[in-house]
Amino acid sequence: MIERLKDLWAHRELLWNMTVKELKVKYKRSVLGFAWSFMTPLVMLLVFSIVFSILARGGDVQWYAVFLMSGLLPWLFFVNSLMQSVGSIVANPGLVKKVYFPREILPIAAVGANIFHFVLQMLVFFVFMLLIRWHFSPWLLLMPFILILQVVLTLGLALLVSAANVYLRDVQHFVEVALTALFWLSPIVYPVGLVASQFPKFMPLYLVNPMTNIVLLWEYAIYNPHHYGPQVAYISFWGILITVVFSIVTLVGGYYVFARIERGFAEQI
Amino acid sequence: MEHAVEVREVSKMFKLYHENVRSLKEKVLFFRKRGYEEFWALRDIDLDVEKGETLGIIGANGSGKSTLLKCMTRIIYPTSGKIMTDGSIAALLELGAGFQPDLTGRENVYLNASILGFSRKEVDGKFDEIVAFAELERFIDNYVRNYSSGMYIRLGFAVAISVDPEILIVDEVLAVGDEAFQRKCLDKIDEFRDSGKTIIFVTHNVDVTREICDRVIMLEEGRIVRDGIPKEVVNHYHQVMETEEEASEQGNRKIEITEVRLLNDRGEETNDFYTGSSMKVRVCYEAREPIVDPVFGFSLDDYRGFTAFGTNTALKGLEMGTVAGDGVVEFDLKSLPMLEGRYLVSVAAHSRDEQTVYHWQDKLYQFEMKSDIDDVGLLYIPCEVKTGPQAG
Ligand SMILES: Nc1ncnc2c1ncn2[C@@H]1O[C@H](COP(=O)(O)OP(=O)(O)O)[C@@H](O)[C@H]1O
Ligand SMILES: [Mg+2]
Repeated sequence: MIERLKDLWAHRELLWNMTVKELKVKYKRSVLGFAWSFMTPLVMLLVFSIVFSILARGGDVQWYAVFLMSGLLPWLFFVNSLMQSVGSIVANPGLVKKVYFPREILPIAAVGANIFHFVLQMLVFFVFMLLIRWHFSPWLLLMPFILILQVVLTLGLALLVSAANVYLRDVQHFVEVALTALFWLSPIVYPVGLVASQFPKFMPLYLVNPMTNIVLLWEYAIYNPHHYGPQVAYISFWGILITVVFSIVTLVGGYYVFARIERGFAEQI
Repeated sequence: MEHAVEVREVSKMFKLYHENVRSLKEKVLFFRKRGYEEFWALRDIDLDVEKGETLGIIGANGSGKSTLLKCMTRIIYPTSGKIMTDGSIAALLELGAGFQPDLTGRENVYLNASILGFSRKEVDGKFDEIVAFAELERFIDNYVRNYSSGMYIRLGFAVAISVDPEILIVDEVLAVGDEAFQRKCLDKIDEFRDSGKTIIFVTHNVDVTREICDRVIMLEEGRIVRDGIPKEVVNHYHQVMETEEEASEQGNRKIEITEVRLLNDRGEETNDFYTGSSMKVRVCYEAREPIVDPVFGFSLDDYRGFTAFGTNTALKGLEMGTVAGDGVVEFDLKSLPMLEGRYLVSVAAHSRDEQTVYHWQDKLYQFEMKSDIDDVGLLYIPCEVKTGPQAG
């Protein structure tokens, strides 16, 4: 394992180049270029604002746009990272079959490129909040920690699914379906208080989902719970602890599994 | 480690799946039934490559050459056995592997170099050299997607060769590209060799291995069947491959060439000739029907396809008249000027206007030139050297 990490470190420049490549290639031949990375969140914002205002009869969540964005942007970062990394190895047979390099670079670069997008989207989001004179809370300082936590979880899953997908192409489809379900099972579009009040029995189960906790953390840090009450975004000590442990275990386990089956990649794809 | 590469009892088995069993349903269905056959691409390979050695690997298609190289470079892993390497490796298994069509040549140089383990700084220092070697100065900022295959290949080789590894591993990549560029690559490999680097080299053009290798191994069905000095291993290779390679026949066979013999000074049939000795090419034919004014010819080509000599009865001003039944044409070469090398013999019978080919045996026969002359080159030219004080 130490050897692997050393090898990865020795190839850090390649990792960087692959990440940059992901970004460059993605928007190379499009006129709007990077502007596209803002399209999905904006369209979703529009749609969900309308739908939610009809369903909730326009009240429960003040500043719905800020609420939605504070959970949606991290979620999109999560989804895009996994959707791109799951196929990252099978999509590069030319590389995997013909040159040696630490194969984990491919899924990691996919996540890396999405970190970049995420940070960019967040910056725009924050500019918007400054314009509307949003009252930031000190919990904002939690953001680097939340980002690291989410990256750890995402990397672990990315390594796991990208490796598994080489042997079983079903993984790709499974991930897609699972992520769609998880989206609605996380308090992104609706506040967590809705679940707490409507289905109190399910709350413990609901909070097991690590992405729920991470989304809650983002909402807590950005959406300023002191103004709008804990039913909008609450965090629990146990929820955070479970999420931290789960994320670290996922990363270590994911990397371990990756390392174990990586030797067969060149023959399998 | 004493050697640059040590291969110990390496075997490699591939699973040949009957069908591509890649979805969950199929995996479950085939869980018990074995959905594949075993195929051993390498068997019990033992090999030590000395530091500074240039090793050639030859063998028929599918004999396991690429598989062995891939095991050495950790792209795949042997089923059993062990491979140890000492020193940095740059492998050229496919030119331009990893080129991104949607990036420019310049961006690809950096990306490709980092795949080979090169840092940006190191590339900066060599960038101009790389571009110059690839002869792409004018196109380096174009998208690689718009490159011709030749440009692609040149850039790939230029990047790979500019890496300064201790061990260079090259698989058949030189088969592509035009001749001038191949020459340039071989020169570069020569340079590499002279600087004491270890080179492991696979090529289809086995005679090239004679030129640049210290040692050659030959693989057959995953086993090493010959290991030794290039000349002998290559000769063995040619014996095994003899009839398969390059040879072809065509024509309407109204005249059939029934036998071709290469005879030495003493009139014996042989495949070995010496510089300065004579050679008779005896062509026996059978005309199935009377043919008016045919022309018989032959040519000697070296392995590069370079024609050393050729002539025919028309060029020699001979009129064959009408031929029918059996006959013989003999070309008597008084003295062979070629130095060492292998030559292929083509023989043909066609009409005077060359519109009708009766029988053309292209490169079907071969012989070996041997020589105890120390001079170098293709041909022996008698040369006297005089020395003395400078006149004037
Ligand atoms: N990934 C693979 N799966 C199954 N068979 C393979 C694979 N790679 C190579 N082979 C088989 O192994 C044999 C050796 O291949 P290779 O090493 O490429 O031969 P060479 O380079 O000498 O032409 C061939 O019969 C080839 O079909
Ligand atoms: Mg090959």
